[in-house]
Amino acid sequence: MFPTRRDVPSGSVARARACGLALALVGLAFATRAHATPPAPFAARAGLDRATVAASVWATDAQLVYLENDEALGDDGTSARWGYLFYSPSLQRARAYSLRGGKIVVAENLEMKFEAPPVPTGWIDSDAALRAADASLGRDYRRDHAARASTMLLTRGTFQDGDPDPATWTVVYTSPNAPSLFVVIDAATGKVSRSWRG
Amino acid sequence: MVRAHVLSVRLGAGALALALCTLALPARADDADAPVRVKVERVRPRRETLPTLQFLKANRDFFRSRLDQLREKPLASRDRAGALDPRFLAYRRMIAGVLASSDSTAAIEDARSRRELFASVTDLGRLEAELDEMDRLLAAQRIRLTALQEDFDARQRTTLAVVVSGCPRSGAPDSIAVALEDGARFVAPLSEADRNALAAGGALQIFHGLIEPREQVLAIGLAGGAWAAGDSAFVTLEPPRDRMTFLQLDLSQAGAASGASGLQASTWQRAGVPAPATERPSEP
Repeated sequence: MFPTRRDVPSGSVARARACGLALALVGLAFATRAHATPPAPFAARAGLDRATVAASVWATDAQLVYLENDEALGDDGTSARWGYLFYSPSLQRARAYSLRGGKIVVAENLEMKFEAPPVPTGWIDSDAALRAADASLGRDYRRDHAARASTMLLTRGTFQDGDPDPATWTVVYTSPNAPSLFVVIDAATGKVSRSWRG
Repeated sequence: MVRAHVLSVRLGAGALALALCTLALPARADDADAPVRVKVERVRPRRETLPTLQFLKANRDFFRSRLDQLREKPLASRDRAGALDPRFLAYRRMIAGVLASSDSTAAIEDARSRRELFASVTDLGRLEAELDEMDRLLAAQRIRLTALQEDFDARQRTTLAVVVSGCPRSGAPDSIAVALEDGARFVAPLSEADRNALAAGGALQIFHGLIEPREQVLAIGLAGGAWAAGDSAFVTLEPPRDRMTFLQLDLSQAGAASGASGLQASTWQRAGVPAPATERPSEP
């Protein structure tokens, strides 16, 4: 038979209360620190400056060649974490920085050959790029196929067959019941340059 | 019974204080430039690993094939020279100004040394004019120094300086190695003079360089003498951006038995230099 509250001596009750209060407070303290409010999502350009500063430490000739959302995309083109990839011609290596909450949470060398051309500075931000993609085909695709924009990536030289020089945003919409939709947007003008399903 | 109750209440109050201190810790570490003790660990601390650039890595063959097809064509417009930073031109003018000031000072000193006696009021007047001229030169020099401080001191980069102090009872190591997470590794050999300096209470700067502004683990290795090869300790630092971070390694508590993890570490940042509120003074 388990003791009821009445069976427990009063000193033990007080001790139990005090210990319970202490444990609760300590738990609250750790919970507050460990599970603070999640970092606010941000558009891609907001993290570029900090990533560039870190990359310039790694290599003085480091140039941004690629970026991609590292966590889920919001409907407004923001993400809680973005990954920025830099290439150093002198080192002939690429290094990635992933930013969340204004901090670099991952820094790692890319273990693959990736001597991509640098992305010019004048690119539209991810929120504007997603608006442009939605306005062209993305909104209808989302509605018709219960889809979402899963990936946005900024690069140069890979998605433009005819003229690979301009930097482009590529938005990938994925659906559980239809082939993915790719929308490529000129990162300087914000105009949709091509799209396909695959 | 009463004692037990009082003890429980004390425990509860202690826990409350502990909890409040735990909550307050991050704020305290952020707002102070005073040295803060850093935990030294024997084993490299494990950190959360997050995936990055997943689309790129999943489609690496596609990206590789597309990049392989690219050919660069040089553009004529890229041959044009860019505009020079006006600060670099200003430095040249500053150097010319400094040299001219030196000439003027030397001329004044020369003339003064030739005169042993000021014979008249006219001579005193001339002396006053010379003092005014020196005041003007000093003011100009102050303006140059202010400009240089703005350009170099007020615009700090993210750097780390590692300083070593203290001497272990078993003797100082022959060298200290520090490895950063980005792969950079530097080894500072300690000469006999360095070891004597440490034993006499001195401090040595063994590294000063750029560091990525992010939380990272530094591996510190001591080698030579009584120290086993490959003996390392690990320190976690988060150098703030555009600040100079100091890491002091106190070797006095380290020993052959405890290894490198017996050393004590503390860190602090160099106080920022406030940017002047006024416009940058122009070079006279």
